[in-house]
Amino acid sequence: MPSYQLTVNGRIRTVDADADTPLLWVLRDTLGLTGTKFGCGQGVCGSCTVHLDGQAVKSCQTSVKEAAGHAVMTVEGLSKDGSHPVQKAWIAEDVAQCGYCQPGMIMTAAALLKRKAHPTDADIDDAFADHVCRCGTYPRIRKAVKRAAGGVK
Amino acid sequence: MTSRREFLKVTGTAGTGLVLGMHLEAKPRPGEATKVAFRPNAFLAIRPDGTAQITVPKVEMGQGVRTALPLALAEELDLDWSRVEVVNANPGPDFKGMQTGGSTSVSGTWDSLRKAGAAAREMLKAAAAAQWNVAADQCRTEKGFVLGPGGKKLGYGALVEAAARLPVPKDVPLKKPADYRLLGKRTPRFDGPAIVTGKTIFGLDVRRPGQRFAAVLRCPVPGGKPRTWDEARAKAVRGVKAVVQVPTGIAVIAESTWAAFKGREALAATATWDEGAARDFSSAGLEVKMRAALTGPADDARREGDAAKALAAAAKVLEAEYSFPYQAHATVEPMNTTALVGADGAEMWVGSQSANRAQERAAAAIGFKPEQMKVNVPLIGGGFGRRLGTDFSTEAAQVAKAAGGGPVQVVWDREDDFRHDLFHPATLHRLRAGFDGSGALTAWTHRIAGPAVLRSWTGGQKAPSQASVESNGAYDIPYAIPSIAVDFAEVEAPTPLGWWRGIEIVPNVFARECFLDEVAHALGKDPLRFRLDLLGDRGTVKFGRETADIRRLKKVLEVAAAKAGWGRKLPAGHGLGLACHAYDGRTYAAEVAEVSVVKGRLRIHKVTCAVDCGLVVNPVGLEAQVEGGIAFGLSALFSQITWEKGRTVQTGFHDFPVLRLADMPAIETHVVSSAESPSGMGEPPVPLAIPAVLNAVFAATGKRIRKVPLDGGLI
Repeated sequence: MPSYQLTVNGRIRTVDADADTPLLWVLRDTLGLTGTKFGCGQGVCGSCTVHLDGQAVKSCQTSVKEAAGHAVMTVEGLSKDGSHPVQKAWIAEDVAQCGYCQPGMIMTAAALLKRKAHPTDADIDDAFADHVCRCGTYPRIRKAVKRAAGGVK
Repeated sequence: MTSRREFLKVTGTAGTGLVLGMHLEAKPRPGEATKVAFRPNAFLAIRPDGTAQITVPKVEMGQGVRTALPLALAEELDLDWSRVEVVNANPGPDFKGMQTGGSTSVSGTWDSLRKAGAAAREMLKAAAAAQWNVAADQCRTEKGFVLGPGGKKLGYGALVEAAARLPVPKDVPLKKPADYRLLGKRTPRFDGPAIVTGKTIFGLDVRRPGQRFAAVLRCPVPGGKPRTWDEARAKAVRGVKAVVQVPTGIAVIAESTWAAFKGREALAATATWDEGAARDFSSAGLEVKMRAALTGPADDARREGDAAKALAAAAKVLEAEYSFPYQAHATVEPMNTTALVGADGAEMWVGSQSANRAQERAAAAIGFKPEQMKVNVPLIGGGFGRRLGTDFSTEAAQVAKAAGGGPVQVVWDREDDFRHDLFHPATLHRLRAGFDGSGALTAWTHRIAGPAVLRSWTGGQKAPSQASVESNGAYDIPYAIPSIAVDFAEVEAPTPLGWWRGIEIVPNVFARECFLDEVAHALGKDPLRFRLDLLGDRGTVKFGRETADIRRLKKVLEVAAAKAGWGRKLPAGHGLGLACHAYDGRTYAAEVAEVSVVKGRLRIHKVTCAVDCGLVVNPVGLEAQVEGGIAFGLSALFSQITWEKGRTVQTGFHDFPVLRLADMPAIETHVVSSAESPSGMGEPPVPLAIPAVLNAVFAATGKRIRKVPLDGGLI
């Protein structure tokens, strides 16, 4: 089986996997990082969103081969203690309901705010266009993104 | 002296089957043997360090019970909320009523939890009083401490050993709402910090030593069976360890989820099926049968006065047909269960809304007694009624048994989830309203035709309550009309069915509240004034198996309308619409939607909701339920499941559109305060969203929409 090296949350990890294995399953099943969620495997729900070199990507649509040699960040790596501005805003707005889709939402929010410190409503709509929250936390997601605006370095 | 058994009996809630404490002594849990000193009931343990552990008797699926229910106990016990740890119950003798649905979690456990907290409080006070040699009534409690005369103060932790030796008191008075320190305050979700750091463990996140992963190849037509397949093709996929047959299909067991999926894909290419009796089923065929059933025989759900006679004598009759499709639950976490089956016992980790049923059925399926099957309930990534079903947990137990060896996590993918949901069925509705010469409404009839969800819950039997359950939301129409006839004509369909957030109330209230709007407009009356007049000056009214306080319903309707600015001048192309309902006569809600239709495209700007659910345990949780309920209801305006050749046409979020952030309207929640006991909030906001929006569409455009779903948001 081929071997791939990737940096996950700052640590260099070597994994043996078939080239087409989605990064999602490498994270969850090989590396035990279950904070990244499986929602659809079709790239349309956003639950599996992680950062690849700082960009939000869907880890179910990113193969381990594509991720090799790049820096992957998952929700576990966003902060040690929930102190990332987006995580703090999420708590302040009490966003989560069931919480399942939230790590993906949070990773998208963090990438958005890094790219654009003060996003407009249209920017927020666009950034979350591929995300599904069946519990309906959307109004609070919008508020939390605005609360965290300007705070992401 | 009261034994623990008696105490626990009196604090049980007969109505919901919550019976506590068959184990009389505080039984330490694994790893707690030396830490727990005071466990006066199945809900509570206080450790010598003063931290409290509260066991939640219902399951958390986003509705907030891991916050709301512990708050009720913590309030009576005056716990320091920052030192409370919340754990999930395991089904068994202590927790026989874990079923979580029907918006009953708070109402069904509220008394038991408060009584458990109050009794523990008195025991801690008595322990402190004995130590200080004062009377217990000279002591009071505050935030984890007992306070005595002369500034005496002891933390609960220091008292646990003495308290544990005391008898459990009976009939302890509960606090008055005016003395509440926690209830009614805005308490953030208990699991918030763990969720935002990715630490929460949902079913799919369970990882046990030696765990393998499995995917089951099932016939795309529910009920179909595999005829032939070539397991060598699956075994040729790297990581695949075994292929086993189970009653639902063929399971591929592998080292990773991805290998299981790939192995299954390889297997699928080789499989042939006996698609079974449902293979020709289609939505089009069902619709023909449902339309025929609109005029055939039916079971009465409510009959008041003689509606047929009143319609025959009416000066004018209005008639309309409404249609609602099959819907899927579409939880974001797909179904899954991790199961471990040994020679003498088994264990499961399953996000079940019905953990006791899951335990009983899975155990029976693999030849065990329920007590041989330990069930752990992790957090649930969306339930909405889907996880009341036990199909997926029973299947996992069968896979783990057939596979032998260590734990197996059976993972459904998104297509599995859509193909093998326990669906909410389609219905057709025919409504008629009759008026006399003066324009007064004299008759109302509502015929509902469709498959019966209740049969999915009664082993296929027709229950006596079938007509009223299937016409929930229709038979309990709250308006005073001289003659009312509501009935249900069952149409059989070979599709798996189940409860869905808002249940039958969603289609039934959609048809009822939209048709009522039609009636108001036909009479040239304002829809709000018309509803208020029809509700009249009545108090408590009985409809069949439920009663409702019409004054509470009127109040929420008035509040929602006032807050939404009913009657104000609107921008061009905008409209306001409203709907209201007394949910099972327990929770009263009204919603006003503001929409615009520009070039045929619908935009939902805002939904204003007023609710009266009795005492509010946690306002921030209540608002979340309103927001989420409206989102769930609005989603159904755009989505549907259709059937062709016995299988669902839709297979994922790409063709079953779920409401997304950009489409979410602003939500404003107004609580109408009430001194009544708390009732539920999970479902009541759901059924009002569609009729409020479609009534607003009529106000904006003059176009009456009677069929869900809308096509791509176009009017």
